[in-house]
Amino acid sequence: MSGHPTRPEEFDLYALGVLEGQEKAAIESHVPTCAQCANTLAEARGRITLLAFSAPRVEPSAAVRERLMRQVHASAGSAGARHAMDEPERAGGFFGRWWAAILVPVGVALAIATIFLWTVNARLSRELARQRANLEEQKKQLDEARHMADLLEAKDTVSVALAVQPGMPKGDVRVRYNAKMGVAVCDGWVEPAPANKSYQLWVVPMEGKPISAGVMDHGGPINPWMMKLPQGTAAKAFAVTLEPEGGMPQPTGPMVLVGPVS
Amino acid sequence: MRASDAALIQKIVQRDESALAALYDRYASLLSSLLNRILRDTQASEEILQDVFYQLWRNAAQFDPARGSLPGWLAVIARNRAISRLRRHNPSEGDELLETTVIVPANLENALAQQQLLGRVKGALENLSSEQRAAIELAYFEGLTHSEIASKTGDPLGTVKTRIRSAVESLKRKLLS
Repeated sequence: MSGHPTRPEEFDLYALGVLEGQEKAAIESHVPTCAQCANTLAEARGRITLLAFSAPRVEPSAAVRERLMRQVHASAGSAGARHAMDEPERAGGFFGRWWAAILVPVGVALAIATIFLWTVNARLSRELARQRANLEEQKKQLDEARHMADLLEAKDTVSVALAVQPGMPKGDVRVRYNAKMGVAVCDGWVEPAPANKSYQLWVVPMEGKPISAGVMDHGGPINPWMMKLPQGTAAKAFAVTLEPEGGMPQPTGPMVLVGPVS
Repeated sequence: MRASDAALIQKIVQRDESALAALYDRYASLLSSLLNRILRDTQASEEILQDVFYQLWRNAAQFDPARGSLPGWLAVIARNRAISRLRRHNPSEGDELLETTVIVPANLENALAQQQLLGRVKGALENLSSEQRAAIELAYFEGLTHSEIASKTGDPLGTVKTRIRSAVESLKRKLLS
């Protein structure tokens, strides 16, 4: 593309990441050659980035800060060791210049080797821990995908459409449930919840109180979401209620959607 | 007096660990919220959060505060990494983003400014229809393109494009007003 994009909002769409194919390529080929458009794109990125502020507040645990500072300190320590190597040699006195000439480089070499090995070891340990965590996560997702496929293929899986209750936010939520497997998958969408409220999904068992199947945050599209019912629990219905942000142990708010298991 | 982002970056370049800690305290909450919203996984979010700030420590000398906003830059990197992870792409090194300039239309260096901006963003989003808002959220928080959103929602591609374009125009008007 040789000219400027004809519509100014193209930059915002690019920053949002929705463009694809020729539309995306056109921006990517033009911007590096045009300072004015590069600046327009930087402003668009800034506007789109403000959407980050709409995410519900989640404070990181204090452990992240501690790990970061340890990591930074370790890397600074390595840099310090390299710096020390560059310091002018000051050995002398009792050992004399010849001893110093031998012992100081050996000592420095040993110190560097120790720090190097310690750093490599720490890095490998971190990498190993991360790979293990990734593997566990992938296993978990694979299991979940298998369960989901089994559920969808099973002949005795029933589809429960949850009906919107009068006066409640709109939505289209469906639960596929297999009583024998004790598994259900929920998907669909629901209108955004009012401020400081969350949607919460419930399993209504044949006997006993409703069981929370999870909090659906503030609405919007629901990714296919699998839940395992407690052993021996048969669902009579599935329901979604509007609860205080973060959910409640038992339903307290109005029922938004409900569907009986036929 | 609170040090500016630019002053703290300069100190990080001189290997001042307390400057990194100060920037972490200033922006970790914003990034953590964004990462958790995208990934819905605390452990993965915290790993990326740590990586982003460690990248800042390693590459601070290459960041020019005069060319853009630090929190904007951090948020772009965090989102990019989270979306890569979400979509099982190879995680981007992110280093190429050092060249990414992000001009945020507000100063985010203090909590009050962040709070005020939060109100403006929420107001701008509430002004959208529920379909527009859902489409914008699918794009920003799940990293979906026009056609992927159309496929996910079952709406025609043209409808999705029009919906997102008008939503973006509306957000732009509200956020700049």
